[in-house]
Amino acid sequence: MSNYFYVSPEQLIKDRAEFAQKGIARGRSMVGAIYDAGVLLIAENPSASLNKISEIYDRIAFAGAGRYNEFDRLREAGIRWADGTGFTYSREDVDARALANYYAQHLGDMFTEGQKPLEVEILVAQLGSKIRPTKLYRVAYEGTISDEPFFAVLGGDAETIRARFAAHEERIHPLKETLKNAVDALAGPERTIATADLEVGILEDRGTRRTFMRLSDNEVSELLS
Amino acid sequence: MGLPLFDAHLDPGPSFFHYAERAGLTSPLGETSTLSPHATTVIAVRYNAGVVMVGDRQATGNYIASRDVRKIEAADRFTAIAISGTAARGIEFIKMAQLSFEHYEKMTDSALSLEGKANYLSPIIQRNNLSSPLIVMPLLAGWDPSHQIGRIFEYDGAGGCYERFDFSTIGSGTPFADSALRLGYRSDIDLDGALELGALALYEAGDNDPSTGGPDFVRNIYPMMVTITAEGFRELDAEDVAARFRAINDRRTQSGGVAGGTLR
Repeated sequence: MSNYFYVSPEQLIKDRAEFAQKGIARGRSMVGAIYDAGVLLIAENPSASLNKISEIYDRIAFAGAGRYNEFDRLREAGIRWADGTGFTYSREDVDARALANYYAQHLGDMFTEGQKPLEVEILVAQLGSKIRPTKLYRVAYEGTISDEPFFAVLGGDAETIRARFAAHEERIHPLKETLKNAVDALAGPERTIATADLEVGILEDRGTRRTFMRLSDNEVSELLS
Repeated sequence: MGLPLFDAHLDPGPSFFHYAERAGLTSPLGETSTLSPHATTVIAVRYNAGVVMVGDRQATGNYIASRDVRKIEAADRFTAIAISGTAARGIEFIKMAQLSFEHYEKMTDSALSLEGKANYLSPIIQRNNLSSPLIVMPLLAGWDPSHQIGRIFEYDGAGGCYERFDFSTIGSGTPFADSALRLGYRSDIDLDGALELGALALYEAGDNDPSTGGPDFVRNIYPMMVTITAEGFRELDAEDVAARFRAINDRRTQSGGVAGGTLR
């Protein structure tokens, strides 16, 4: 027989939260922001192939911060969920809010019942249409879901970056300005981030069904110049 | 539908079809049948800068069920899929193909090769045709960006996939369309030649096969004509298609219905 020691629920949750926060803090941060014609997702990511930002559906994109293997599994589940829902019902029935809720439920379950909480934060972005609004849903490691009006910051240094970015972003700007503000906020005053270390994706209407697009290093440099 | 998470050893990977099967989204399996596909003529002709496809518009049961069906669809920017056989399964098949190619691209952040797409469809056709009386026979054509050529892939009833380097046809009008293509095809055929030959072959099929709809001058409904090139999938304008079929029809009227010309 093994011995069980009593741990109060408060202590248990505090320990688990600390564990998850530490794991997330090890990764670099990312910003999602609404601009005048769409949604911008930008992450500091030295790898050009291990993506943090991804297309989920026609008007929905995903971004993750924290442990790559954990959020990538959630990204894949999101694509499957979206394609499966669109196949079963109709493409217009695929809603980012429903997906964000599923992520929240899963992260919440893992936080309280899992072997260990997931060390990730998720952003689900939706480009608005006639039937749905433009939205940024941020899902935290313990399953808290928040609906961010202009922008969201995920990852380790989120509070500092959030404060830096908030200085510019009380209203909606064009892409060029939003991107510049986001890069400045991610870098901070003492540091510059090379374009090659940025991963940038946008959701924007270009007359096609799919609205997600990755911006190349050249396109990012041009927007930042 | 909940969040579809899988353990690593059970994960269906980037294949939407395998995920859909596991999630119970695909149609149920039934008895095998000996019915062969009926109705329809779709033609694909390979030329020096891509592929031309021509398809009739008629859905046939015991009577004409519809006169303006689209049997050729873009599966993605560089790939076209055409169907013959059971309409319901055919439409589901096109949907599955479109979704699968896009799903793969989103999951892996890279597009499937054209050959990869052609092979991917084999087990889907096999699953349907060997376990259901509702046969579907597709035709896949596309522009292969890695080899810079147009390519055509045809299938047999059991899902076998064969590349064709000249032309291919599916549907009940095949004997008639195929004869016209065999007589008219040249290895150095260009876009205009391929469009002309494709239209002529379809006219022949419509003329001889009761389940293939030829040009309908009364209702102004004409077969679909598409090209797949380095620029992608493009459907010809209705007026352009109408003019081509009117020209063929005028020639046929002048010759009193005699189709023959110079043979070699």
